[in-house]
Parts: sequence; structure tokens; C-alpha cells
Amino acid sequence: MSDLVIETKKLTKIYGEQTAVNSVNLHVKPGRIYGLLGRNGAGKTTIMKMILGLTPITSGEVDVFGQNIKGHEKRIYPRIGAIIETPGFYPNLTGTENLEIFAKLRGTPQPNAVKNALEVVGLPYKDKKLFSKYSLGMKQRLGIANAILHDPELLILDEPTNGLDPIGIAEVRNFIKNLSVERGKTILISSHILSEISLLADDIGIIDHGVLLEESSMDELEKKNRKYIQLQVSDIPKASLILERQFHVTDYAVQDEHNLRLYDTALDMAAINKALVVQDVAVISSQICNDTLEDYFKQITGGAGIA
Amino acid sequence: MMKDLLWAESQKLHRSKILWIAGFATVMVGLIVFAQGQFTFYDRRYIDGAGWFMTAAQSLATFYVLPAVISLLGSYMICREEQEDTLKSLRLIPVDEVKLTLAKMILAFVFSVLIYLLLFAITFLVEAVLHLEALSVGLVLENLKIYFLDGVGVFFAISPIIALVARMKKGYWLALVFAEIYSFAGLFASMSQQLKTVYPMTAVFNISGYYNANMFQVLIGVVILMVCVILSLLILKGWNRKTK
Repeated sequence: MSDLVIETKKLTKIYGEQTAVNSVNLHVKPGRIYGLLGRNGAGKTTIMKMILGLTPITSGEVDVFGQNIKGHEKRIYPRIGAIIETPGFYPNLTGTENLEIFAKLRGTPQPNAVKNALEVVGLPYKDKKLFSKYSLGMKQRLGIANAILHDPELLILDEPTNGLDPIGIAEVRNFIKNLSVERGKTILISSHILSEISLLADDIGIIDHGVLLEESSMDELEKKNRKYIQLQVSDIPKASLILERQFHVTDYAVQDEHNLRLYDTALDMAAINKALVVQDVAVISSQICNDTLEDYFKQITGGAGIA
Repeated sequence: MMKDLLWAESQKLHRSKILWIAGFATVMVGLIVFAQGQFTFYDRRYIDGAGWFMTAAQSLATFYVLPAVISLLGSYMICREEQEDTLKSLRLIPVDEVKLTLAKMILAFVFSVLIYLLLFAITFLVEAVLHLEALSVGLVLENLKIYFLDGVGVFFAISPIIALVARMKKGYWLALVFAEIYSFAGLFASMSQQLKTVYPMTAVFNISGYYNANMFQVLIGVVILMVCVILSLLILKGWNRKTK
């Protein structure tokens, strides 16, 4: 039996002619935060819905806690807390009343479960404000409170910081991190916000157009990100000519009219600088840099679309 | 689990506008019939006749108002889970959707009985204020029985509409329109002996004792209402299978 909390094998979802998710193999390890990063519409929510059995799978397999969720819902669902898309609640009830309904239906044994969950997300207990009057951020917090109400082992959070203000985002981030670090929860979180994933995740899956392009730990990713020499000069065409003819450099990229990147960090920079200056090319700066996750995302997806 | 579901369903109706609409509609029925009772017949107001108000309110309520209100509430309870996007949270508990729908139907049934009993309470109180001495215990209990059975029967008669609207997912207000047409047609059905026996809305009156009916008509009425219940169960069963 696999020791993975979630494992998908060639998971595919096709809507009519459109393939929303294409042969995705996802591996979520216990006690870790797995960040699913992708643009809006990349297929993140569809993957989460398929994992949870909320939408039928076209082909492939999903195992949660080593079991196929279909037919084992009663055993598996109580071990999961989830927010998928915007959290739905009863608008004519308060936050507390809404959670009390879900707690009762779940058979949550702790008497203070609702109060504790609301405290964790910073919402007042027994407040008179109706859900219909909640801001988007409050709705999102209530959704998180509902997801953690029954102290699940696995949290599946689809863009949980949507609609939160910057302070709220930081609070939720810290809270998610604590759940993983202090309480050993396994968390699958999706986002199109790169900084959020890079600050939170232990493992990352990059998805684009329904295809999982990359899956690795953040540590591996950091190692994998290429080092380069950022060179700022006064005349790029002339500098390129010198680099190619004199130093036989081919692995480089021109950024703009003053910047270029040299990907071979073993080059003798002192010699290059000297050669450039001798041939009337002013060297404004030269430094060794690392690709960020953003650079890496752009590199493998081939464009923008993330914040 | 069913106990928890029933508790949850009753909680979900807190501050619900539909309950206020239902209460308002029932009071309005009382007011309209009370106004009708001011007309005179041989120099005597209708309202002055013992039992007239309790009797007259039933037909107006059943042919024009209450079936629509009850089906509105029933279909609202079912449709709102999808419209307010709470169904996915319930599925993740997991909640048995067949039991969930059954709990909603049970609550709509209780609501149907309660709303008829509310109308009975209104009409009885008015009669008691106007002429308490003229009311016999037998008359009051007979009317209480009729109102109670009206509440039970009307729910069974309209249950296919609740089920159909829940399945159509086109908005619960449709239930109000369908039930209004369905109950209003009962007015015409009541003009023919045969139709009166087989049309569900009038069959309710045969069973409850509002109409003078023989045993055969009552039995036919029971069968008709059972068919309505079976029909609604079939529609809901098909719907649950489709949504899974």
C-alpha cells in the first residue's frame, strides 16, 4: 500500500471537446503542504473536485489514504476538510448557526468545536451578523472554519485566500503553516498567486492547460533553478559579439537593450569585463543571480498569468 | 442521522422569508373569508352562523392559497442547497442525499399540517370571540379533524409538484405557479361528481370530511393520494440517481 495521502494516476477530465485535466499524476505526502500552482482555468479546481469525488472522472484513478474514494466516502470524508471554489452557506443564518448545522451533521464530538474553529479564523462566536451580510473575506474565513471544524487529517483548500485583505492573507498563511508544522496535517492547496505557494508549500505541482508540467519539492526546485550572471552593459550588440567571438559564449539571453544573462557561471568574469571595457563597452554591473519560482514558472509554462 | 437531518432542516428555516409569506397568506385567507362573512342572507350575516367561518375558510385556502405556499416551501428547501452551493459541503460530510430529501419532505409535510392548524386556530378564535356559546365541542373537534386531514392530504396531493420542481432545477418559484394552477383546477373538478372523486385536490376534501362522501369515494381518494406520493418518490429517486 502506498504511503501517500493523495495519489492520482493519469487523472483526466474531458468536458465535451475540451480536456480540462490531462493525465495528471499527483503525489501528496503525509504531513506536507502541497501547492498546486497554475493560472486561472488551468484545471486546479477540477483536479480537487475529482479527488473529492465531487465531479466524475473521465479516466484515471484517485487514491486518498490509499483507497479509492468512490464507495468509501463514509470512511474517507470525515478525515478530510475542504473548501472548493466559494464556500456555500445558508444566507439567512449567522456564521455560528451555519457551523452548528455542519458540526451536528458531521457528528463532531467536541462541544466547543464551532467556537474553536471560529476563533482560529478570527471570526466572532455567536455573532448576530447573517452570512448574507458577510464580506468575501469573512465568507472565506467561515469556509476555512468549516473545513477544520472536525479536526481532519487532510485539508484540501482551493484558493483559500481569495478575497482576503493582505493582513488576512498573512494570518491564513501562518495558520495553514501551523496546521502542517505543529499538528502534522497534510494540506493540498491551490493558488494562482505564486508568492503564496512559494511561502507555504513543501512540495509544488505546476499545472498549465490541464497538464501537470512539474512536480517536485521546493528544495529540489531551488536547486534546479539555474544560476546565471546578470550583466549590465552600455552596448548589447557589441557585447554579444565580443562574448561570442572572443569567449565562444553561446548560452546567454538578451533581456533588454542593456541587460543580458550568461548561464555559464564558470566563465572568467574578470577577463570578460576587461575585454568589454577595452573595446569601449561600459560594464555597469555584473552579478551572480538565481532564478526565482516566478522565473521558473514562466520558463516552463511559457508566459504570464500568475500574480 | 434522520433526527439530525430534521433538526438541521428546521434550523435552516430560521428567519426564512417564506415562513413569513406562509403566515401572512394564512392570515389573509382568514381576513378575506371574514370579509365575505359580512354579507347577509335573510338579514343574517354569514359569519354569525356557528361553524360557517371554520368551514368557509377551507375551500378558499385549499383552492387558492395554501397548496401553492406549501409547495413553494417544499421546493425551496430542496432547491436552495443547489442554488446556495451548500450541496457540495453536505456531500463532503457525507450526507445521504436520499435521506436529506426525505427529511425535507417530512418537514414540508409537518409545515403543511401546521399551516392548516394555524388556519383552524384563526377561524376557531374568531368564532369563539363572536359566538362561543353557539360552538359545540363536537363541531370544533370535527373541524379540527377536517383541517388536520386537509393538511395531510394537500401535502400528498402536491408532493409530485415539489419533486418535479426540485428535479427541474429552474427555480422554486415555479412550484408556486404549478401548484396554483393545480389547486385552482380543483374548483372546476368539484363541479362534477366523477372528477371530484379522482382529482387529488378534491379527493382530499372527500377524505377529510369536508365533502359528504361515501366510503367508496374516500377509498378512491386514498388511492389517488397514494399514487401522488409514489409518483413524487419516483421523481425524487430519479433525481437523486441523476445527481450522483
